Amino acid sequence: MVMRQDASTGEIKDDGVKPDESAESNVIDGKAIMQVKVYSPYKVYFDNKAFSISGVNATGPFDILPRHHPFISLLESCDLVVDAVEGGESRIQISGGIMHVKADKVSVFLQV
Amino acid sequence: MKRPQELARKELDMATIANLTGVFETLASMKISQVKNQVLEAQQFFAELWSMYRQIRVDSLFRFGREQEKVEIDKELFIIITSEGGFSGDIDQKLLDWMLKQYSAEKQDIVVVGHHGAIQLAQQGISYQKYFKLPSKDQDINVAPLVKYIRKYRQTTVFYQSYVSLMVQDIKKIELQKAVQEAGSKVINDEDIIDERTYIFEPSNFAVVAHLESSMIEISLSQAILESKLAQYASRFRSMSTAKERAVDERKSLHLQYNRAKRSVADERLKEMINGMKKAHVS
Repeated sequence: MVMRQDASTGEIKDDGVKPDESAESNVIDGKAIMQVKVYSPYKVYFDNKAFSISGVNATGPFDILPRHHPFISLLESCDLVVDAVEGGESRIQISGGIMHVKADKVSVFLQV
Repeated sequence: MKRPQELARKELDMATIANLTGVFETLASMKISQVKNQVLEAQQFFAELWSMYRQIRVDSLFRFGREQEKVEIDKELFIIITSEGGFSGDIDQKLLDWMLKQYSAEKQDIVVVGHHGAIQLAQQGISYQKYFKLPSKDQDINVAPLVKYIRKYRQTTVFYQSYVSLMVQDIKKIELQKAVQEAGSKVINDEDIIDERTYIFEPSNFAVVAHLESSMIEISLSQAILESKLAQYASRFRSMSTAKERAVDERKSLHLQYNRAKRSVADERLKEMINGMKKAHVS
């Protein structure tokens, strides 16, 4: 079972979703990792493994870590911060977009 | 007959023209390959968005990213994408004639992209709602101002030049809603269903669907603009190839004329010398 914190109330919930089995193998130096791709129709800004990704949506700033609950969010204009496994932190200035998180795979579709 | 020096000068000028048209031909060919790559990349991006949209969709209606059914103008919008200026041949005129055959001021409004189309419409006394400059860059085309217009109308049809091959360009029209759905039908769909039981949505699934619809319209529009530009580059490439061929032929012909003129001058001198010698011998 996967526990998650509700964004609006802060309450910890058990949502009954089984975690992705393959996620167990996505660990480097004891830290879980995920695959992140940030791109627009004509350019790929980042496509690699990362420890986390942070952005801003209508609720405010948020971070996505590995094994996150499936999540779709519209993004506000902000600096998207990716903590990459190789090369450390990278910042991508965006004017908006949409983030899709599922089974340790994060896709960020930037505004066209 | 022209003098050899004059012909040599003309031949040199023609060689310069052949070189220049060769450079333009190469530039157009490079642009074509770049734009073709971009079209392919955008198709992949579109496929992933569509896959998400299909899984998340709340009903079967495509609303152009509008909130529910808010149609401000109960008319169809014609968007015509033409070139910015010269070197476009007669393809813009063909496109315009084709659109005007289907146009009725009571049923449709026109938005023009590209200066050439705006001028041609003005010359025919046909009014349009708005004119947009054809984007000079091939990347990150901002179609948001066009999408604002699209959202106001019941339906939108885009008329544009299409790229068939390097030597063949055609004219095409798409109904935007159908085009988005047709492009989506080519995508192999994931079986998963995205809903509020299995996903967290920020701010809501309706807002996400509206955003996805807007994005897909923007991609379809920018694809039409890119394809139009691709056709224009190809048309320019064709013009430059023809111009280069003509310049090379003309240079060859001038070179022949130059050799003939040189030989004629030499023959003339020889004749004068022989005549001179004959006269000297007689006297």
